[in-house]
Amino acid sequence: MKALGRIFALIKRNVKEILRDPLSLAFMLVMPLGMELLFYFIFHGQSQQFEMKYLAPGIVAFAQAFLSLFSGLLIALDRSSAFLTRLYVSRAKSSEFILGYAFSLFPIAFAQSVIFFLVGGIIDPSIFSVTMIVAVFLSLIPATFFIGTGILLGSLCNEKSIGGVASIVIAGQSMLSCMWFPPESLGKGVLTVMRVLPFKNAAELLQKGFLGYSDFFHEFWQPLLILLAYTVAVFALAILVFKKKMREK
Amino acid sequence: MNAIEIKNLRKEYKDVVAVKDLSLDIKEGEIFSLLGVNGAGKTTTIKMLSGLTCPTSGDAFVYGKSVVKDSDGVKELIDVSMQETAVARKLTVAENIEFYAALNGMTKQETEEVKQKCYDVFGLREVAGKMASKLSGGWQRKVSIALALVTRPKILFLDEPTLGLDVLARRELWRTIADMKGQMTIILTTHYMEEAEALSDRIGVMAGGKLLFVGTKEEMYAATGKQNVEDAFIEIVTGGKAL
Repeated sequence: MKALGRIFALIKRNVKEILRDPLSLAFMLVMPLGMELLFYFIFHGQSQQFEMKYLAPGIVAFAQAFLSLFSGLLIALDRSSAFLTRLYVSRAKSSEFILGYAFSLFPIAFAQSVIFFLVGGIIDPSIFSVTMIVAVFLSLIPATFFIGTGILLGSLCNEKSIGGVASIVIAGQSMLSCMWFPPESLGKGVLTVMRVLPFKNAAELLQKGFLGYSDFFHEFWQPLLILLAYTVAVFALAILVFKKKMREK
Repeated sequence: MNAIEIKNLRKEYKDVVAVKDLSLDIKEGEIFSLLGVNGAGKTTTIKMLSGLTCPTSGDAFVYGKSVVKDSDGVKELIDVSMQETAVARKLTVAENIEFYAALNGMTKQETEEVKQKCYDVFGLREVAGKMASKLSGGWQRKVSIALALVTRPKILFLDEPTLGLDVLARRELWRTIADMKGQMTIILTTHYMEEAEALSDRIGVMAGGKLLFVGTKEEMYAATGKQNVEDAFIEIVTGGKAL
């Protein structure tokens, strides 16, 4: 019970820190929303990628990549300012800190998903369906992966380097997810690499969850299982590194 | 009664020995200053005593609780203000106190009481609604130290509390620390000699990870034949080969 109270206190503090940073809201909500509108109005009709039914889930996955930057930044800043050292002296355990950091970003991930799907539906009402609700909940899986990545990077990097390192993750989600170009235009080798990495799987999971699927395993379970494996691995590593850093303090 | 009993405490980092077999008793209710130049081992000692880092060998007992075997028990009795300011930047002063109280399992009533006490002791009422990041360095340091009082610790570690403060802010903080005397045991590390002279009941001098002297400032003067803490400190640290 006491542990729950401590986790709740950490979540409340982290949410306030994130929401009071206009830059984080701009990157996590405003910029992806602008991209959703811009890409749809400029390119729809020219390529399948920019139809709203593909674009909206892709944008959700892209926006969630920013969770890695802002969760990482929060931890890196706490570490550099000795705030985390102060918290280590409290009764809270390392697992409670990690849960506090992780859960504070889920409401933002949920909001991203709801907003980008709703705006997509307003622009193109044909995409409104029950599967939109399925996709919103499915989006918490890529969100968990990106939050875990942020916790790992924030435990490893300082506040100056975290921006650059997290940008690689965001660029990966943008360039390696097949959001902006059709997969047929890519070579077999490139596609194989994309299938192994988490980024295309994150976008595909939401797209297939949203659109339904024709090949039950290949189109839905495969990206789901690959992404779950990455999520478990990245969280396990994040917990190990965070605990190690905590002991080093 | 001893608040802290340190027995042969040692900390090694790879090939560097940061603290060499430190043994020391600190009495309940006293202000004890650890003096030393940079790298003397003061901060490492505080980190070991507060459970932030494990000793390589030896042990220390905080009201009988071992920092090695019962660091969670030790954490219930202590709090620390490290030399870097440690506040949540985008929370207000009041929210910082509320957050730290919640993290330590306090009820709403306890939180309100401790908040009022922090306002009174550190004069924080006028900045209670301001975001910590908008405060000056001096105010942020005050908030940082005030947070260490939230848990009502029996032992308070203050690591270089006035580092980087201007002379007025430093004097004001001295007054605050002096006012807290007797309410808890305070262990202060500093390399400002006048700070140790003004505040301490007893002084410990460290150099190269070793404790070279422990006693009151009068005992320090008597042992070195000097008339102030700075001269006496230099005499002890240089082994009489004064600069």
